[in-house]
Amino acid sequence: MKRKLLSLLLAVTVSATMLAGCGAKATQTQDNTAVTEKPTATTAPKAPVEKEEITLKWAIWDKDITPYWVALKEGYETANPNVTIELMDLGSADYMTVLATELSGSASEFDVVTIKDVPGYATLVSKNTLEPLDSYISSAGIDLSQYGGVDNQITVDGSLYELPFRNDFWAIYYNKDIFDAAGVAYPTNDMTFEEYDALARQVADPTYGAQVYGTHYHTWRSAVQLFGVLDGQHSILDGKYDFFKPYYEMVLKQEDDQICRNYADLSAEGLHYSAAFSGGDVAMMNMGSWFISTLIANIKSGEYDASLCGNWGLVKYPHAEGVEVGSTLGTITGLAVTSVSDQKQAAFDFVNWVSGAEGAKVMAETGNFPALMNAEVSGIIAGLEGFPSDAGSKEALSVSNLYLEVPYAENVSAVNDILDTYHKSIMNREITIDEGIAAMNEEVGKVLGK
Amino acid sequence: MNEKKAAQVKKLEAEFSELTQQIYTENDIVKKRKLIARRDKVRWKVTAIKNNRRISRETKRELIAYSFIAPNFIGFAVFTLIPIVFAFVLAFTNWDGNNAVTFVGLENFKSLPTDTFFLAALRNTIIYVLGTVPLTMVASLGLAILLNQKVKARGFFRTVAFFPYVASLVAITAVWSMMFHPSKGPVNYLLLTVLKVPQADLPKWFSGTLVLLTLILFSVWKYMGYYMVIYLAGLQGISPELYEAGGLDGANTWQKFRYITWPQLRSTTFFVVVMLTINCFKVYDIAVMLAGGGDGKLSTSATVLVYYIYQNAFNYWKLGYSSSIAMVLFVMVLIITLIQFRYQKKLEA
Repeated sequence: MKRKLLSLLLAVTVSATMLAGCGAKATQTQDNTAVTEKPTATTAPKAPVEKEEITLKWAIWDKDITPYWVALKEGYETANPNVTIELMDLGSADYMTVLATELSGSASEFDVVTIKDVPGYATLVSKNTLEPLDSYISSAGIDLSQYGGVDNQITVDGSLYELPFRNDFWAIYYNKDIFDAAGVAYPTNDMTFEEYDALARQVADPTYGAQVYGTHYHTWRSAVQLFGVLDGQHSILDGKYDFFKPYYEMVLKQEDDQICRNYADLSAEGLHYSAAFSGGDVAMMNMGSWFISTLIANIKSGEYDASLCGNWGLVKYPHAEGVEVGSTLGTITGLAVTSVSDQKQAAFDFVNWVSGAEGAKVMAETGNFPALMNAEVSGIIAGLEGFPSDAGSKEALSVSNLYLEVPYAENVSAVNDILDTYHKSIMNREITIDEGIAAMNEEVGKVLGK
Repeated sequence: MNEKKAAQVKKLEAEFSELTQQIYTENDIVKKRKLIARRDKVRWKVTAIKNNRRISRETKRELIAYSFIAPNFIGFAVFTLIPIVFAFVLAFTNWDGNNAVTFVGLENFKSLPTDTFFLAALRNTIIYVLGTVPLTMVASLGLAILLNQKVKARGFFRTVAFFPYVASLVAITAVWSMMFHPSKGPVNYLLLTVLKVPQADLPKWFSGTLVLLTLILFSVWKYMGYYMVIYLAGLQGISPELYEAGGLDGANTWQKFRYITWPQLRSTTFFVVVMLTINCFKVYDIAVMLAGGGDGKLSTSATVLVYYIYQNAFNYWKLGYSSSIAMVLFVMVLIITLIQFRYQKKLEA
């Protein structure tokens, strides 16, 4: 009897402390917002007069191997001597998961956080951990059209919770030596998918031992199915994915004819796209613009054999019949202000600087693409030592329409995973293209229907 | 005050003598013991009152005992008990880790049967358990019996069998990925050249229906060494006299195994099967490492419950829904373990 009583007591205390914990947390966050709203209203006009010392904590990843974090921090500190930016490295592998955990509850100490991808952005917004930036944007007089329409694809119920500072777009990398050896003309900035497919087949050589692949698709679904969204009429949030079909057919046919490596092999060996391209047996590869700085740096350092891949070029994405040339996929990296920060105005000033013209210059100088692209910025990148010297490669840097790989929607994480799953099943040939697309339609329908 | 105490003592002493009387007349030994225990309690109470002690000796004894358990129990409570109770409560709520918790009753459980990915994960996990548990048990018992013989280089072979268990999972999955590589792997190469399987029909070990088989084979290979060691300990605990007696009675090797080794190993087998079942239901890392491909995501052919729990909790932040899946897993493991315990008791009785 006594033992039973004891265990009952224990259970009650446990649940009581738990509930107490929840309650305390909820009230605490409320208190915080109440308190923090006041100082932002008062400090905003005061800040430029007094120049009080401010320390902002900024969540980032891979500080040592990514050149721009420190460059941005130093650039801003030079321009604003009263501000100190503290870099908090969370590592890249699980960055968004770690960040979401850190921002849960009111214990977080970050003022500014980097948003790595849109699914993660959607999560943080729905968890109410980010501050809506609209009032700051309008009072700072920022012209959002400088981001070329990307801001519309991350707007949540009319509000913006991040400003993009980095914007990568997809292009076709090609190996000039392979085309020269095969006596085939280089790809151009204006190719239809039919021309691209024909070119890949022309340059490929299936001879055992001296095999050359006409093209290469990395295992990400973006590399195959998202050719379908370039017409501007479709998006991954449609819920109906029949527009993926022609591209799956093209790629699986290429696999069958050994024009490209097959997916099952790639996924078993975990071949990285950089290893595939730098191996010198891939004529063309579609990949994001982040690969430019990697290629340049690694060829320079000798990590990639320059005799295999040193002579590379860049062209725009192929386009479907009737679609504007230069339409491509993009992926953005943004900065956001946390809702628990007690110096939101100062944090926003930093975000604004990084995603504005000055931050863009710092990004370009480190070989990365800022979200704010203009002629000066693309000039800086095309002028980097190691960037291909032909006019076509430089021309390939100008983008006409940019469609985000993952635009914002409330349930985008789940949609993303469903599309990933069935992409895998189709490419592994566990199911046919039609079955895969039917399953995507059904499962995404369930998520979007909620 | 003192009068009150005196009255209390008097009352207790009366109870004491009454109990003593009862003890003398009681014939049933069990009841007699209970009465003696009750009388002891009364005696303690009397001494406690007489010596002005606030805490009775009994409570003191219990407190001391609890203080010995405390270091372990506090750890258990903080890291296991509270989270489990919390998860149980969460299963009936919607919570994203930051906003307020909303109670939704059985909603989470109701949506489980229509969730394609949950059903796939459940099916795959059950197939995996059904495949891995018996195979690992048989393989480890076989190995243990072989390596319990006096053979040359016995220590070496025991090490070989135990090695996969010790080796880093990342390293050995990389090796398996190359061994079973669909076009370049030695396994498929042998199938192609020795067994003359046509190139187009070569199995893709990491996708489709075969991926579960690969997972099962891998797990058996990795875990059999560990359970072999447990079986070896069990085998060495069997008295050699039993075999000697069996031999004298003319039992052959099979009969010795069937009537001596197997019954003697019953409690070892019980332990092995319970641990294996629990561990197999918790499978996650092996599936992600072997079948996750480049991005560590599992398709419907290879997804398992723990993976889906993780995904719901930390990718979608549906902590309530993921807790409800965890409850399903918990109840399944609980039921199976209870059945095993009951069966074991029945055998022992």
